[in-house]
Amino acid sequence: MKTAVFWGCRILTGQFAYEMSVREVLPKLGIKLVDLRESVCCGDPIKSVNDFTANYLGARILALANLTGLDNLLVPCNRCHFTISEAKNVISTSAKTGQKIKDLLKEEDLEYNPNIKIWHTIDLLHDLVGLARIKKAVAKPLKGLKVATHIGCQIIRYSDLGRVDDAENPRKLDELIEALGAETIDYAEKLDCCGSALMYSHPDSAFSLAGSKLKAVQNLAVDGLVVSCPDCQLMFDVKQKDAGTTVGAKLNVPVVYYTQLLGLALGIDERKLGLRLNQSPVDQIMTKILV
Amino acid sequence: MSLVDLMTMAKPNLESREKILAKLRGRELVNCFQCIKCTSGCTALKLLELKPHEIIKLVNLGFVDELPSSDIIWTCVTCLKCVQRCPQKASPYHVIMALRNLAVEREAKVPEGYLKAVSQILETGLAETAQKVVTGEMETVDRVCLKLPKIISPKEGFQAVFMKTMEEK
Repeated sequence: MKTAVFWGCRILTGQFAYEMSVREVLPKLGIKLVDLRESVCCGDPIKSVNDFTANYLGARILALANLTGLDNLLVPCNRCHFTISEAKNVISTSAKTGQKIKDLLKEEDLEYNPNIKIWHTIDLLHDLVGLARIKKAVAKPLKGLKVATHIGCQIIRYSDLGRVDDAENPRKLDELIEALGAETIDYAEKLDCCGSALMYSHPDSAFSLAGSKLKAVQNLAVDGLVVSCPDCQLMFDVKQKDAGTTVGAKLNVPVVYYTQLLGLALGIDERKLGLRLNQSPVDQIMTKILV
Repeated sequence: MSLVDLMTMAKPNLESREKILAKLRGRELVNCFQCIKCTSGCTALKLLELKPHEIIKLVNLGFVDELPSSDIIWTCVTCLKCVQRCPQKASPYHVIMALRNLAVEREAKVPEGYLKAVSQILETGLAETAQKVVTGEMETVDRVCLKLPKIISPKEGFQAVFMKTMEEK
């Protein structure tokens, strides 16, 4: 099956490991990716500046996806996934705003297509590829590995919009990890936010949120934290030292993307999965898996 | 309405209130019965003392003028828990976003990052600039050496239409 893919700013400009691992694992599971014509912002930071512009940019991504002629669009970033889903919702519920957006798209020779289904990495793998197919493809089961999961906020809320998983008890990421032979753990802070949205206005508070969650995960004595959003990865992996300083803790938590873990289980070389780009001590996970 | 805040002598501004309500596209703000589910689950409450139920009440009563210039509207972490849990579909998150939009419109104090994102998108199409990443082996890498596809900027007509959308209030 073919699907269009929209990466978003954060992945394209710095979170290369997510892009590399998605590009590696999906074709191995029968999903071919088709990039959009151009790389543009989904509108997320503009939601705070001008709601209409943000919805225009979100709708514009669906119009770019329409150019590929495909009915499915993969959006691996949680924030982009929310922004584009909300733009789609605004167009379908508010005729006036919807028409204005469609008219402006025409000025760019673009056409909005309401029938494109928006996927995230998590539901694409869980619902479309399916756990059975993933289990079958596993070449190196991750036996003995125990991890905590962080699904993020914006792909599970708010349910009226149609989200990837349950808002209060998300299980899909856990099930995807269990399909690789690893174990997951439930913990009180599972739904706590990474804080990335505060990086523009209150960076210290952002670090404090990330640090508190990482501290909690460290106390669980698990092998690492698994995420599926480039913003969460930025906070927990790249900014782990700042987060630790802010909460007064020496943090040492390996943080990986689910697609990196999946890639390892499929037997893909770690270099192709961008594991050396992670800033947290992921070698701890590697050692555990290789034993 | 003959309502006056006796502490500050502030009067409700119904015009600003209407502006916020228009942005909410039918979300039932007036149905809020102050159950405080939003505030009790708010991520920013613990750290930055954001109290979404108070913001909803103020907007409902029309005391809107101080909010756009207040720092409190920039403390929301956009975790969306309040939208999810509100039994009355009042959605504090959307009210806060509408207030942020109003702050920009009134040229109140807006965190620089947001305005930078606007100029960045105008310039390159993306809200972030491409970075180099240092690996665990102290090697500096970018998209080119990782053999990732080139970033392609939007076509020419984009900027003009983007500016047009920014004029929508």
